[in-house]
Amino acid sequence: MIAKPSIAFNDFSGTAKDVTARTVQGRNVLSVRAYQSKVFTPSQAATRNQLSKISREYKQLSDSQMQAWEVLANHLKGISYFGKAAEMTAHNAFVRINSNRLLAGKSILMDAPSHISNIPGVVYDEIWVTPSDLIIKGIVHKNDPLRLVIKMSAGLSAGVSSGWSKTVIVSAGIEDDWGDANVRGRYMKVVGFAPAVGDKVFLELYWMNTDTGFVGASAFDSKICITSEEAEEEGYVKRNKITMDDIQPDSHVSDCDVDFSTGAPVISFDTVCLGHSNVASSEVYLNDTIPEDCVGTSMALGRGMGNDRCALAAQSYIIWLRNYSWGDSTITFAHRGGYYVQPTEVFGPGILY
Amino acid sequence: MFNSTGNNFGAGSIQFKDYQAENYVVLNAKFTYDPTNAAYLAADVLEIYVPDLAIDRSAVAGVIMRFRDVRTSYGYTWDNSGGTALKSWIKDKNTICIEKLTNFDEKGDITIYMQALYPMLNQPGSPIKGTRTRINMTQETRYLYWDSETFCVIFDHWVFVHIGFSSCSYSYRDSPWEATMGNFPTDVCADVPFCGGGNQYNPSVNGISEAHIENGIFTCQERTSGFEDTGYSPFIFAFLVRDGENNSE
Repeated sequence: MIAKPSIAFNDFSGTAKDVTARTVQGRNVLSVRAYQSKVFTPSQAATRNQLSKISREYKQLSDSQMQAWEVLANHLKGISYFGKAAEMTAHNAFVRINSNRLLAGKSILMDAPSHISNIPGVVYDEIWVTPSDLIIKGIVHKNDPLRLVIKMSAGLSAGVSSGWSKTVIVSAGIEDDWGDANVRGRYMKVVGFAPAVGDKVFLELYWMNTDTGFVGASAFDSKICITSEEAEEEGYVKRNKITMDDIQPDSHVSDCDVDFSTGAPVISFDTVCLGHSNVASSEVYLNDTIPEDCVGTSMALGRGMGNDRCALAAQSYIIWLRNYSWGDSTITFAHRGGYYVQPTEVFGPGILY
Repeated sequence: MFNSTGNNFGAGSIQFKDYQAENYVVLNAKFTYDPTNAAYLAADVLEIYVPDLAIDRSAVAGVIMRFRDVRTSYGYTWDNSGGTALKSWIKDKNTICIEKLTNFDEKGDITIYMQALYPMLNQPGSPIKGTRTRINMTQETRYLYWDSETFCVIFDHWVFVHIGFSSCSYSYRDSPWEATMGNFPTDVCADVPFCGGGNQYNPSVNGISEAHIENGIFTCQERTSGFEDTGYSPFIFAFLVRDGENNSE
């Protein structure tokens, strides 16, 4: 430590390198400069860059645009668009609304939106938290431009009664997937680890109007993480669909969504087939078996995504859904009609027989 | 059967043949629009407005778009008509959407063949399994040959059909084609796109011809010029509404 005489002997006030000395209520206090212990995550860096970018954009506004933002900010002072009433400057309003829009993948709004906004609260049936599932079910769907924002905490002690200040945004403006919001993948990316059985997870949910950047009132909830078996006993029914999370990495698809939950004579496909080994088909190797009543054959439309000949060709694919006696389960997308293109997206309903 | 109440791309009134169940609908329509009209140019997504449907939204389905491109050279007519599959979905009870693909707008009028089943998702229960029925394509003098994926799956109010073309006897290649579709319901009447065949002047897509199914008879008056090119495997893929007394549940 380098101690300068002015610090060490004259009332201990001043700073030298990492040490600050000061007098507090007659006592001399020495403190070492605090450094942030956490690593700056890419998403934190991106968010902070966005805020300064938005702030810079504000300076580019014309006088009339700034005036409009001021008018909007005056309206927002007394209205709780952001969960609590607050004083707000034109610059504040511009940054808050546009940071919401950027979170939802929209561009910066230069003209102030109308302050008149009617955003509903989030209505849902149940939240299921297990070490392998983080899903909100029974969400009452809202059409564009409303998108769902979900904030969640890491698993905390079950004794914590209020952990909503520890939530972070895990989904910034998603559309519910037919009443479901399965956020485990996003949660793992943001939080980094799944909650353990017995942990308490805090959630905050609200709708965001991605056109105006306004958000609705938040719904607050918390759930104790339980085992998958307990969840099933309590009535959790896993959606009957196969996504990239359910397949092995050597599968010949870059995108996979095979949804059996139609209750109709079709399966819904949204899959990008890459092909393999100069064979006009793509194999998807599954982690689990296919439910027995979904084993069979299907047929769906495809459209090329290539760069060369017939890049956009319409095609038909026969799709075999099989469980084998040796334990493997596969979905095979085999080209049938049209010019074969790699890659091809196979989409839409496929008849099941 | 119902008519559209409007659209945002200048297509005029569109007539639909429909079967509407609680959790899915089958819609059939064939219509044409001019891609130079102002309404089309202003639209991001093609929207067709309709009276209340049985479902208030759907997952994505596929429809086929077709443009005409017929050229004459040295007295020979060269048909390079083509097209591809477009995504379509029901946005709400009164709006059917079709993705806007502008790649072929300079070709003139575009025809859409909507022969699609629009399902809902996250519905209770498993998918319903149908029965594959082989379509027995017959002719008095056999000149058309079909591949093994020529079949249908028949339901009370609609039928799924896939027809895979294999080959045609050389002397019949330019004639109108006709074949009887054995095992196929006779209460289906539809123009269907026959996708496939090479397309020399529009190499980003297959050729697309048009066939017709009525009273269990398949007809196809003419095909695009590269129809029998190797590797282009012409096919028909359609969910077709059967003509019944009452097709809505």
